[in-house]
Amino acid sequence: MLTTPERIAFVLVALLSLLLTAHGVSRLVRAIGRGQGRPRWSTFLRRVVPVSFEILLQRPIFRARPLVSLLHAGVFFAFVFYGLVNVLDVAEGFTGFSTLHRGGIAAAYNVVADLLSVAALVGILGLLVRRFGLRPFRFNDRVFLLPSVHFGIARDSAIVGGFILLHVGSRWIGQAVRIAESGRPDWSQPTASLVATLFSSWSDTALAAASHITWWLALGLILAFLPYFPYSKHIHLFMAPLNLILREESPLGRLEPPVTGDGTMGAERLEQLRWYQLLDAYACIMCNRCQDVCPAHGTGRALSPAALEINKRYYLNRNLSAFAGGASSPPLLEIAASKEAVWACTTCAACVRICPVGNRPMLDLIDMRHALVSRGDPIDPNLQAALESLARYGNSFGKPARQRARWAKELPFPIKDARKEPVEYVWFVGDFASFDPRMQENTKTVAQLFHAAGVDFGILYEDERNAGNDVRRVGEEGLFELLVEHNLAALEKAQFRAIVTTDPHTYNALKNEYPAYGLRVPVYHYTEILADLLERGVLRVQQPLAAAVTYHDPCYLGRYNRITGAPRRIIRALGLELREMPRHGANTYCCGAGGGQIWMDSGGQERPSEQRIREAVGLGDDLRYFVVSCPKDMAMYSDAVKTTGYEGRLTVIDVARLVATAVGIDGVARESVSVESEAR
Amino acid sequence: MAQRIVVLVEHLYGEPTDVTFELLGLARRIADSDGAIVEAVLLGEGVRHLAETLPAERVILVEHPALRYLAPEATAITVTGLLRTDAPRLALLPNTSLGMDVAAWVASALDWPLVAYCQALERREGQLVATAQLFGGKILADVAVGTSPTVISVLAGAFAAAALEPAAPGTIEVREPPAELAALRTHAASLERPAAADVDITRAEKIVAVGRGIESKDNLELAEELAQALGAVVAASRPLVDAGWLPRSRQVGKSGLKVKPKLYLALGISGAPEHLEGMKDAELIIAINKDPKAPIFGVADYGAVADLFDVVEALLERLGG
Amino acid sequence: MTIVVVMEQVPDVAEELAIAPSGTDLDRDAISYVVNEYDEHALEEALLLAETSGDEVVAIGIDATGELDQALYTALAKGAQRAIKLTGDFEGTWLSTRTAARLLAPVIEELAPRLVLVGVQAPDDLDGQLAPTLAALLGWPHASVVVGSELVNGMVRVRKELWGGITMLLELALPAVLGIQAARQAPRYVPVSRVRQVMREASIEVRDVEVTSDLAPVPVRLRFPEETGQAELLTGSASEIADRLIELLRARGLL
Ligand SMILES: Cc1cc2nc3c(=O)[nH]c(=O)nc-3n(C[C@H](O)[C@H](O)[C@H](O)COP(=O)(O)OP(=O)(O)OC[C@H]3O[C@@H](n4cnc5c(N)ncnc54)[C@H](O)[C@@H]3O)c2cc1C
Repeated sequence: MLTTPERIAFVLVALLSLLLTAHGVSRLVRAIGRGQGRPRWSTFLRRVVPVSFEILLQRPIFRARPLVSLLHAGVFFAFVFYGLVNVLDVAEGFTGFSTLHRGGIAAAYNVVADLLSVAALVGILGLLVRRFGLRPFRFNDRVFLLPSVHFGIARDSAIVGGFILLHVGSRWIGQAVRIAESGRPDWSQPTASLVATLFSSWSDTALAAASHITWWLALGLILAFLPYFPYSKHIHLFMAPLNLILREESPLGRLEPPVTGDGTMGAERLEQLRWYQLLDAYACIMCNRCQDVCPAHGTGRALSPAALEINKRYYLNRNLSAFAGGASSPPLLEIAASKEAVWACTTCAACVRICPVGNRPMLDLIDMRHALVSRGDPIDPNLQAALESLARYGNSFGKPARQRARWAKELPFPIKDARKEPVEYVWFVGDFASFDPRMQENTKTVAQLFHAAGVDFGILYEDERNAGNDVRRVGEEGLFELLVEHNLAALEKAQFRAIVTTDPHTYNALKNEYPAYGLRVPVYHYTEILADLLERGVLRVQQPLAAAVTYHDPCYLGRYNRITGAPRRIIRALGLELREMPRHGANTYCCGAGGGQIWMDSGGQERPSEQRIREAVGLGDDLRYFVVSCPKDMAMYSDAVKTTGYEGRLTVIDVARLVATAVGIDGVARESVSVESEAR
Repeated sequence: MAQRIVVLVEHLYGEPTDVTFELLGLARRIADSDGAIVEAVLLGEGVRHLAETLPAERVILVEHPALRYLAPEATAITVTGLLRTDAPRLALLPNTSLGMDVAAWVASALDWPLVAYCQALERREGQLVATAQLFGGKILADVAVGTSPTVISVLAGAFAAAALEPAAPGTIEVREPPAELAALRTHAASLERPAAADVDITRAEKIVAVGRGIESKDNLELAEELAQALGAVVAASRPLVDAGWLPRSRQVGKSGLKVKPKLYLALGISGAPEHLEGMKDAELIIAINKDPKAPIFGVADYGAVADLFDVVEALLERLGG
Repeated sequence: MTIVVVMEQVPDVAEELAIAPSGTDLDRDAISYVVNEYDEHALEEALLLAETSGDEVVAIGIDATGELDQALYTALAKGAQRAIKLTGDFEGTWLSTRTAARLLAPVIEELAPRLVLVGVQAPDDLDGQLAPTLAALLGWPHASVVVGSELVNGMVRVRKELWGGITMLLELALPAVLGIQAARQAPRYVPVSRVRQVMREASIEVRDVEVTSDLAPVPVRLRFPEETGQAELLTGSASEIADRLIELLRARGLL
């Protein structure tokens, strides 16, 4: 029990601490409130229970780094429980009420508190050793960091880690002291009892003093720490769950239209980001998982999604009162990420998927692109050429629209013109599949397969335009809208039930973006149709193929839209042995082409596609095929097998070509020969 | 009086340019078919000595400091004055940077017809027909040349040059520069040669491009040698640039530079679409590749299915002297 | 003060071109039009000049296609202050350079600019390039194949490209006409949203013009060049191939 002066002191310090904390928190809320838009509380009500449950199970954290996640879980569960512990401890200090040597519910409480204390201590020690001993958090040296970040991260981690260590440690040792004071072990607090043996020789006065000191260390420390709390990464404790709960359930592949101001678009400054993008900075715990999975950072480019969030956070920390008070922030390019970083993003969304606290750094980058493009900042000349071509011809190849369906002329049968006769499926072919000579062979194969299976399909011929997925993601919103208008007008002319597309990027746009513009039809990827045709026996495997293959999930298919089963079902149906690369399914690794990179290709040291080919090669010497289901992948990987020197050993092939070979479709004889001879 | 065909003599650094002889050759052939005489118009300062080297019946010489570099205004005014008094049947000017500024100006000032981008000029069924290359070379326009004086602006490289030695040295007729040259509004003309430092492949007239067929960095020397012998520069496909064998400024293609040289000699380049994008508009594409199915042959004018090292060596033997 | 830029729409040569049954013109129905690429450079150069000099940039063009608005709006979106289009009874015809110059000259004179910038050439310049033609009509000094310009002391200093990297430096008294080959930097990108905004907010001045001289160019017959198709393959030993190559290069004056 505390002495009266102690009680008074505690109450006074508590009041002061709460006041200061409230001040900090209110600034923080006002700062986040400067962001665009407002959270929808209906979302909160709908999601609070299920998402809290997810968090309690630590699901978002266990998506990667199992051991570290376990350490975190120890600290996390302890902290949740310590909410109760701290209240009871304060009560004990003031009233003398104690759970020591009690049975029933009190004993159960003691057991949990005791074990969780140890879990938290082990956890935080592990995390600290990792952060300061192993130093796993490195940014490549092209990444922009605010000067305050360099030292700031270490200091913040040290303070927070030290606080947890001291707070939990003091409470734990305090319990031991109190057990020693009582003269006998408390079996409901086994570890504390064990520690208590250390104090068996201490005098009563020494123990009483130690009890007071540990109480103050455990609880007084909270009061001391509290005002710093809003500025520390520990705030993720509240912000992360809030971020996860308030997140709208819209698909990953649907972007909100950029924020527009007078003549501007997107985000040039912090306050032009949306509220949740500011919240992201506070939810971030600087674990750098996003950076680990980022293909841009992984290939030595200037982008680190983690650095982006951390920079935002440190800028805000240092300028919180001004920003909360309405001051404009400097350009994001000066405080958050360099221009080079902004243009390095492939929009693969790996960072978004991996983030345990629900951050979406990718969106900031896209918003910054919108701002750059809309204010006429010079863009990569090759990107500019692509955009100009898209505006003029509707494709990035600089080819007249009339040439879009040229490949179809080489088929032995005509393809229906969906604008003129009703069809079941409109096949939205996509730019690469239509114009890239390497891909046209695949495109013809798909047509032959559909034809052979009696699928009732047609195409839009020269009326099809690039669907605009990547146009939107390089920040050319106006052009995106133009393309959407064109495509919708073309689809308007057609009578059909559903759309099938060859291109995952197109798939994403039609499926997730176009509904906002009024398109409401089912959209399929061609692998879904082919899988179905094989399973229903409409396409029959004549000669099973026998070879070891691996399959690369396109970001916009596997991660964005969770279509991972269909291509695998096809591969298995053909008799092929599928070996998975370590990164597959929703965890797939980007080929480096997305988000407009295919038009920029700024080189870098190694390309993501080359890393990916090496990953595949690691699956065994006998691996024959690197199977793809995206035209851009075909371009990227057939290049990468060459540059990595694995040409001849590993063949990049579209899944449709394999199907054609197995079912014995005419007209693709050239490819079949090589496949069959190897199959024998 | 015999009809006259007038040719503007283009010269640079004290030497007539190749196109001048091409024009004189063309003029000669037409003159031979209808008995006209060929007149070379030589403008400049201190260029009299050039007159003797010109294969023409007559050389009209006008000298003035303002004509030194054949700057547009002075040249156009002088030529206009000459043509107005002489009224030849044809005035042939090169469709080059220098000639372009004169031909259209003169034709407009005199209100004479003009055919530009002429790549062929021949008599067909008694009628003189000029063929112009239009719309990026995709369309040819045959224009009947009437009997009134006509200006023709001729593409460089389209015609064979006349023999260097005039059959008989022509007469030289010196004319006074027109009075207008005293009141020109163009000043301070000078020439500047390129800084030799860095190679700009987008401006090179001839390119020797190498691809992965070159196999190693050391072999690049071979390409360099060939380029030197041809007066060309070396460019490359992306993999070579990625490997750091050549700087990025030498990369041709989608993510590199787009080039449009007179000669593009592709050695060991397969012709991926990304590469073709950067060079398909070259005037003459020659490809050497081991693989008969290499797509580069689809855009090349000439190709050889052969080992590039053998061919390069054979070429060097012949060029290296 | 004013800088005038002439914007011309020309058949897109990336498209397949067809010849009209008359044989004297392209099949105008099968054509799509684009802004002459050199005019884009002229516009860029004008905008760059104006950025330092403070001149007003006026984009002007003859609407021979009925589609010039888009080009002029784009010019406005990029930073031109005014846009003027000349309309008349010539839609869908092949305007000769000289006719175009005659239509443009009086309007340009009325605008009294310091500089007129036009693209160095266009794919349909059968009767020569616009810059020298216009200069002769206006009586102003000129230079073509310009790759850089600068306004200094009431003159324009230009860099005219000859060949092989050699350039001619000239100073022209103002007003002057320049045929632009390449702007100092690549023409800027203008986002579609800005063009659309300009289309809502800005307007294009329209001048009706009368064509006096005859429109038809000199008697002409159009045809396609002979197909070159696939590469002609040189066969034989390496030495034979080398011999043939040298022969080829010689014949084309490349050696
Ligand atoms: C987004 C993107 C952008 C790209 N941008 C570009 C770009 O800008 N520029 C570019 O070039 N590429 C670019 N590429 C790469 C392109 O796809 C090709 O990989 C590359 O052009 C191939 O280069 P290459 O022809 O030198 O090599 P390869 O394709 O490997 O061809 C080598 C050729 O040499 C021949 N050969 C080998 N030995 C000999 C010999 N002894 N004699 C004669 N022939 C021989 C072979 O038959 C083969 O045809 C890009 C790719 C992507 C995906």
